[in-house]
Amino acid sequence: MNFELNEEQKDIKKAVREFCEKEFTPEIGLEFDKKEEHPTDLYRKAAELGFTSLRFPEEYGGQGYGMFEECLVTEEMCRADPGLGVAVMSGTFASDIIMEHGTEEQKKKYITPLCSGKFISAGAFTEPAHGSDIARMDTTGVKSSGGWVINGSKTFITNAPVADFFLVLCQTDPKAEPSYRGQSIIAVDKGTDGIDVTKLHDKMGIRPAITGEVGFSDVEAPEENLVGGLNRGFYQVMGFFDVSRVPIAAQAVGIAQGAFERAFNYAKEREQFGRPIIQFQGVSFKLAEMAMRIEAARGLTYKAAWLIDQGKTDAMMTSMAKAFASRMAVEVTDWAIQVHGGYGYMGDYHVERFHRCAKITEIYEGTSEIQKLTIMRYLMKRM
Amino acid sequence: MKELFVLAEHRQGELRDVTFEMLTKGREISQKINADLTAVLLGHDVKEFAKTLAEQAKKVLIIDDVRLENFNAETYQKVLSYLISERQPSLTLIGHTAFGVDLAPSLATELKMPLATDCIDLDFEGERLVVIRQVYGGKVNVKAMLRKSESYIVTLRPATFEAQEVKAAGGQMIEVASPLSEDITYKRFIEYVQPPAGEVDITAADVIVAIGRGIKDADNMPVIEKLAKALGGVLACSRPIVDKDWLPTDRQVGTSGKTVKPKLYIAVGISGAFQHISGMKNADLIIAVNKDGKAPIFRVADYGVVEDLFKVVPVLTERILEEKSS
Amino acid sequence: MEIIVCVKHVPETAEAEVTIDESGKRIKTEDLVYDINEWDDYALEEAVLLKEKHGGSITVITVGTEEADKTLRKCLARGADRAKRLADKAFEESDAFATAKILHKTIQNLPFDLILTGAQAGDDGFAQVGGILAELLGIPHATMIKKIDVTEGSVKVNRELEGGLEQVMEIKLPAVLAIQTGINEPRYVSIMGVRKARQKELKVLNLADIGLKEEEVGESGSWITVEKMFIPPVEKEAEILTGGLDNIATKIVETLRARGLI
Repeated sequence: MNFELNEEQKDIKKAVREFCEKEFTPEIGLEFDKKEEHPTDLYRKAAELGFTSLRFPEEYGGQGYGMFEECLVTEEMCRADPGLGVAVMSGTFASDIIMEHGTEEQKKKYITPLCSGKFISAGAFTEPAHGSDIARMDTTGVKSSGGWVINGSKTFITNAPVADFFLVLCQTDPKAEPSYRGQSIIAVDKGTDGIDVTKLHDKMGIRPAITGEVGFSDVEAPEENLVGGLNRGFYQVMGFFDVSRVPIAAQAVGIAQGAFERAFNYAKEREQFGRPIIQFQGVSFKLAEMAMRIEAARGLTYKAAWLIDQGKTDAMMTSMAKAFASRMAVEVTDWAIQVHGGYGYMGDYHVERFHRCAKITEIYEGTSEIQKLTIMRYLMKRM
Repeated sequence: MKELFVLAEHRQGELRDVTFEMLTKGREISQKINADLTAVLLGHDVKEFAKTLAEQAKKVLIIDDVRLENFNAETYQKVLSYLISERQPSLTLIGHTAFGVDLAPSLATELKMPLATDCIDLDFEGERLVVIRQVYGGKVNVKAMLRKSESYIVTLRPATFEAQEVKAAGGQMIEVASPLSEDITYKRFIEYVQPPAGEVDITAADVIVAIGRGIKDADNMPVIEKLAKALGGVLACSRPIVDKDWLPTDRQVGTSGKTVKPKLYIAVGISGAFQHISGMKNADLIIAVNKDGKAPIFRVADYGVVEDLFKVVPVLTERILEEKSS
Repeated sequence: MEIIVCVKHVPETAEAEVTIDESGKRIKTEDLVYDINEWDDYALEEAVLLKEKHGGSITVITVGTEEADKTLRKCLARGADRAKRLADKAFEESDAFATAKILHKTIQNLPFDLILTGAQAGDDGFAQVGGILAELLGIPHATMIKKIDVTEGSVKVNRELEGGLEQVMEIKLPAVLAIQTGINEPRYVSIMGVRKARQKELKVLNLADIGLKEEEVGESGSWITVEKMFIPPVEKEAEILTGGLDNIATKIVETLRARGLI
């Protein structure tokens, strides 16, 4: 057992921190939050420094590190600014599926430009009628002479308005029983005829991580754009979630840490009744509680990440980390506002933004309820 | 008779202020240690300077050589090490200027004499030389002692000692033959270059709002610009802002930038390194906003606000606009 | 082009509160964050830019404890090829002169065309190492460098003078150049850099390795020793405005109005 970061990991953490101190200032975060604008330039800058391609192999321009390092970077970025952090670190979203299941050509075509920051990806899984339940897709992929013809619509698609390609989960065998055995993932390049992207507005938080609805009407994709096995899409997506939920836990830890530090510093400076409010037990106990919970969530998250890097991916640990860290982040950011009092409710004190951003971690990539189902399923097997 | 050297600094036909500051401090010390105050003038065609210096010093040593016309640390070092070796002054004062920092360390090394740089005060305690220096960007002062020596070299921080007007001292002018035998080829002076003038002349402004490291990001400048605009003033800055290219060089206040004397100077997020302070300390009214209550800027400001500038500046701007419209 | 960059690991005090410890000769460093000296940061970047343009390699050297490895690793991650750290109990309390002697002994047998240092250090602010080192090596130097153009066998440099003026000099190589801030824009550390840095050599050398005697370094080998540190006396103290943002703004507006500034 070793609970210490190695020198290399410390250097990575320091590198991100220095980048964020200059690039992710609170004022920039607030501005992108207000504008609901994707920080594309920041994403490319981060990509050029290797922050967004940690887990991709070096031969495709990636960094060859693991989930643990990705969590460190995600955490630091979200600590500086949750909206910018999530937006930047989601730039390669879902592309793990290509890395895991794609052909050599697909990897060259998509992964290499993703690593360099030229590309932004989007995973088009969620449908208006199916949220966390992706067992049946209304979007269809029909084999044609030239390849695939895709019809249907997707919603809450991260990066949709800026994505260079979409990994579309669609029903390629509508008759399959159960239905999830008839799903496949097809890569669709931006600009293909029949794609209609609408930007969604007024999200509660992570507003720089822009989201959209994507309609596909008779969208054609060449045959070689099938990613992984025919009718294996559901399994591929679920396998992806088993790992991708860990960085969500890291987002939650980072968001909570950022809000906590702001609350702590504020409590040291803010005076009421003639002394800094940190000297009041009502405040100090709350701060101690916050620190304690963040540390607990961090431990879970690091363990889940470590397991993945050891080749022992454990869906139960992943779900535990995500469900625990996300709840913790919502609570800690809520308390951070409380410590700030009235100022905390105001945008330019930043903690309310952290709170708004924290909430999404309980929802996306499987709600906490879904995580608990997963945890129970494994417990039933293991206990 | 013991001697105390002051190296006269001149540039482009002018004796620089630091020369007179050093003469003032040098006179005080020379009296204490019972030494002659000797100005050392290296240059070409510098008769006028020599006269001016003779009003202040007991002696003026003049070495006239065309190779000394423009400052070059290598040629200066050759000449100065010759003079110091010959005359063994107890102390040689050099300005802690762009010229001085280029010259003093290698000179002291060659002469094997202890050197203290960037001193804001100095005194002899017996035979030992004691100096006061500032460290950690002016947040702490150090009293330090130099290794015992027959002769010391010290560089003095400019704008630290007030130059005093003295009655003509009737100093003796001594011309010394240049010891330079050959041209120095490994380091050549080529030219002076003046950065192009910008659209705003901050030295002419009545109101200056200056920003420093504390504004964190170039994107935050509009917040401060609004304040400057509300006051009808101009935006200036300390060195880090120019280093980062957020504002052009001609907006820089301080030793390597402009010296200003506006009616109002608001320093926002500037900690107040001496280089900056020497460029603005004579403003009529100075208001400083900084998170660190111990920042040196508060030692020259009339009013201080110890707060996050991003909280203070917008409120202040709004209030000023209200005041102006009412 | 073989370049040596001398760097220093210093506490960041520009925006931190600085207090003096019980000895009265040092500041308390526990709560301070250490990093590469700001001037050296620009010197390193300049070396990397020169290497990118003219080829060659970069050696970074520091005198410091194990803590200083952080700064060396940062330099390696940013593009330096190898690092040397000079560490010995005897080096403690070395001033700029003693430090320059340590650097000189380390450098004298290394191949180099150019040595870069920061124009000064943010902690003790001596601004001496470059000049002393050049003299010990018997090569020319220039300080306050704002621009470097490499020509055949020499460099053309711009030195920053007071009042925004610059002085252009031509210097034969090998030479020592002390770099002023603002000469370039130091890059961020990249993940690729961190990865590569792990493969690069970081060598630690002590007093015996470089062949200096104990009395030549540390306090005994220094020109100057600290007697005591103290917080600068207040000549004039600003009136600190308090009582909340509104009150502060009101007081300022009143002052400005009274002086006819608004």
